[in-house]
Amino acid sequence: MSSAAVTPPVVQAKSLHCPGCGGPVALRGFGHTLSVVCPQCHAVLDVSNPLVKILQRAQQAQEQVQPKIPLGTRGKIDNVVWEVIGFQVRQIEVDGVPYSWDEYLLFNPYHGFRYLSEYQGHWNVIRTLPLVPEQVPSVRPRLRVKGEIFRHFQHCEATTIFVLGEFPWRAHKGETATVDDFIAPPRMISGERMDGEVVWSLGEYWTGDQIWKAFQLQGRAPAAVGVYENQPSPHHLRAGTMWRTFVWMLVALAALMFYFTASARREEVYSQHCTFSTGTGGEPSFVTPVFELKGRPSNVELAIHTDLDNNWAYFDLALINQDTGRAWDFGREVSYYHGVEDGESWTEGSASDSVSIPAVPSGHYYLRIEPEMDTKQPSSMSYDVTLHRDVPTYLFFLFAFVLLLIPPIVSTMRIGAFETARWRESDYAPS
Amino acid sequence: MVVLGLTGAAEYNGWSLSRINQVENVPKTVRDNPGAYRSTYGYYHRYIGGK
Repeated sequence: MSSAAVTPPVVQAKSLHCPGCGGPVALRGFGHTLSVVCPQCHAVLDVSNPLVKILQRAQQAQEQVQPKIPLGTRGKIDNVVWEVIGFQVRQIEVDGVPYSWDEYLLFNPYHGFRYLSEYQGHWNVIRTLPLVPEQVPSVRPRLRVKGEIFRHFQHCEATTIFVLGEFPWRAHKGETATVDDFIAPPRMISGERMDGEVVWSLGEYWTGDQIWKAFQLQGRAPAAVGVYENQPSPHHLRAGTMWRTFVWMLVALAALMFYFTASARREEVYSQHCTFSTGTGGEPSFVTPVFELKGRPSNVELAIHTDLDNNWAYFDLALINQDTGRAWDFGREVSYYHGVEDGESWTEGSASDSVSIPAVPSGHYYLRIEPEMDTKQPSSMSYDVTLHRDVPTYLFFLFAFVLLLIPPIVSTMRIGAFETARWRESDYAPS
Repeated sequence: MVVLGLTGAAEYNGWSLSRINQVENVPKTVRDNPGAYRSTYGYYHRYIGGK
């Protein structure tokens, strides 16, 4: 489209009198106008020669339609001023259900004609193509225009059900055309076959707000309903941005994980080998010698390694700060069973266990350990208890990874939902 | 950024999801008589496992 700023000259519209009702009829399309609708009686007039003829009697039987953009309104599209000179309502029928849309004819004496179409708040600025699109061999029909592939969307029979204003053809109610739409959002190509001639046009999606701004219309544009065939998906850009952000966040997360892994002290602060057996009587609980935890508050990992074999043990544990009397109290169960059943070996549980005690401040500590085993039968075990200070835990990194993954995945799913909604209205509706 | 910040804070402070109870003012006599102390989890949960 041209980007030159061109303002149409101020001209006196040519006028004539309607042969039907005698009312004045203004012509704005200069010599291009072949038909015009009388604004008084809505008769369609043939103005191709000075002897004005009535093409179609008054449309008063039909419901009066008010264009959203009044005839005579001027607006700027791509820096060119266009005037609305014609308006028609066209309709298709799908499975017995009529769907209608509005079309506006725009005129500029230097640039010719453009069209505006509107369906449920979705707008297209349309111009006729000076070339015939190239057919691309494919299962579904495709066209190529200037290297861009357009996929076939819909084939339909469009009927004009209302006309107003003037047109460079003999527009009238009942005019029919076979229409094929091909899309490459935000553009679409329409091929209209009428009287054996095919006219190709290229449309570009505009929002109602853009149209309202271009024509400086009062109020707000009607809200768009649903997804239109060549409406660009708002989620494509968003999803791309989100995936890029996700990659950067993942790099940052990996750097964070590397830093904490490299800087973790993993200091062994206590280790003890113990034995335990049931049926010996006496107090099973005992305390360890005092050991020191240094540095900033961080975790303490307690690991228990046993020689349990088809048996279980329960450890009642408390890490107690000798100075403050604060205790971290917890219990751990360790069990390890294995065997062969129906010729297949099985195992359950593990003879080892570990737990991370959170945010333990520095100080002097000891551990209270109270082991327990099955009292119904004589049981014994030997086990090692080891404490490590400041051990990296990767669970939070896993949580962070999952949380960071949610926005781009949701956005990608929205793309799929948007495209499904788009193609549901096509000849290729997903079943 | 919030997620990264929280992850860093969790790792720096050594937070954990383990089920661990904090008890204040444990008497110093526990060192002399460990059996006198009964923790929250003492006799709370016993495993009767295995196939």
